[in-house]
Amino acid sequence: MAKLKNKVAVVTGGSSGIGLATAKKFVEEGAYVFITGRRQSELDKAVKEIGRNVTAIQGDISRLEDLDRLYTIIKAQKGSLDIIVASAGFVEIMYTPQVSSDHFDKTFDVNARGTFFTVQKALPLLNDKASIVLVGSCVYLKGFPQYVTYGATKAAIRYFTKAWAAELKDRGIRVNTLSPGAVDTPIVDGQFKTAEEAAAAKAMFAQFTPLGRIGKPEELAAAALFLASEDSSYITGVDLVADGGMTQL
Amino acid sequence: MSGKLKGKVAVVTGGSSGIGLSIAKRFAEEGARVAITGRNQATIDKAIKEIGPNGLGIQGDVSRLDDLVGVYKIVGEELGKVDALIVNAGVYILGPLAEFTEEQFDKVSDINFKGAFFSVQKALPVLKDGASVVLLSSTANGKGFPNHAAYSATKAAIRSLARSFSVELLDRKIRVNTLSPGPVDTPVFSTLTNNEGEAKAMMEAMGNFTPLKRVASSEEIAAAALYLVSEETAFMLGAELLLDGGLREL
Repeated sequence: MAKLKNKVAVVTGGSSGIGLATAKKFVEEGAYVFITGRRQSELDKAVKEIGRNVTAIQGDISRLEDLDRLYTIIKAQKGSLDIIVASAGFVEIMYTPQVSSDHFDKTFDVNARGTFFTVQKALPLLNDKASIVLVGSCVYLKGFPQYVTYGATKAAIRYFTKAWAAELKDRGIRVNTLSPGAVDTPIVDGQFKTAEEAAAAKAMFAQFTPLGRIGKPEELAAAALFLASEDSSYITGVDLVADGGMTQL
Repeated sequence: MSGKLKGKVAVVTGGSSGIGLSIAKRFAEEGARVAITGRNQATIDKAIKEIGPNGLGIQGDVSRLDDLVGVYKIVGEELGKVDALIVNAGVYILGPLAEFTEEQFDKVSDINFKGAFFSVQKALPVLKDGASVVLLSSTANGKGFPNHAAYSATKAAIRSLARSFSVELLDRKIRVNTLSPGPVDTPVFSTLTNNEGEAKAMMEAMGNFTPLKRVASSEEIAAAALYLVSEETAFMLGAELLLDGGLREL
């Protein structure tokens, strides 16, 4: 299989979860992939796991200088970029009364502002006919307690998708949202204090999901591949919801 | 081709032309045995020649329940249990609200809505547990277009069926999703006028109306249908895959 032969991709948040599974899949399909993440140790592990055709660049998407450094390196090494998968994200669940200004800023800085500048700063490097995949969440489609700030940032991402699809269509650049439901990734574990709590939460998510299970990172990676590849050449501005039916039934 | 559907059995209603034929061809190339239905035997025969030895043509009208029962009986006998059902048969009947006739309404509703409903209901006995069902809707189910009222309403009904069917078929692990194209390069525009030049002009106008400034090729729709019936979408159900060159969302 080589659906992404000779393509250059960047996957933010590529050291774990959906981002890591996507980076692996893209390399299997012939792409060269740059992954970013905040923790060097996680990036090192990811590079080992992916094995080849990958460069890890430590950085925080909420810091514009980190993004500048990322794209300077990509430009120096590869010259241009064909695919962006913006999957870096932050979630901390809490009810509205508990939301502090710090929590609010951090959630918006990473998910909304970080995603915005991830794409804006990549524009000079993007080839015509590039594909941009913004990882949203099915959360924004339905009301869920405690996801008030997170869901709002994902709604913002959904709108970025539409506006950018309109702004970039003349260059043949397609922009789509991929909205996962509950998926078995470290971002879920990170919302809970103990492994037991996380396991209980995953069991609860599975119960809320019509399919009766949470998703696998590989299933979302397959969706990212579909949106990044020529298989979706007429698809732009859409939201591909892969949520086991959580918001769809 | 990669043989993604090797050993699988698929049914494509309205598979003798346009999107349906492209899907049937692609599925056959990927190794599936594919039954197609259509109303016209001569068109079916031509299609089967294009599809090749993996194709099986069955004449039938999806708006007639007897025909559907007969179709699935043959499918069961000839091909066995079905892994992928593509509910694609449809008609494109347009007209302004003030002039739309009862006859036009009944035809578009009988084939697109009633036909889709019973294409799934009558398939239940031959559908394998874990099968994937794809209902062809249209980008028009979520946007207002002149002259499209009845047609778009049937496509909105289909969008809704994907949700309801998915719930009812959960225990059999049968997934139902909607695939919603925008304008596609198919003979459907020739059904709107007797003038070939006019049909082509209409299609081009629709293409220019999309942000991507072109109509889709039917192969692009087939690639999406293949994606929806593959294991890669095992976590998707009740969803809509919009494939419209940005028409609805931009």
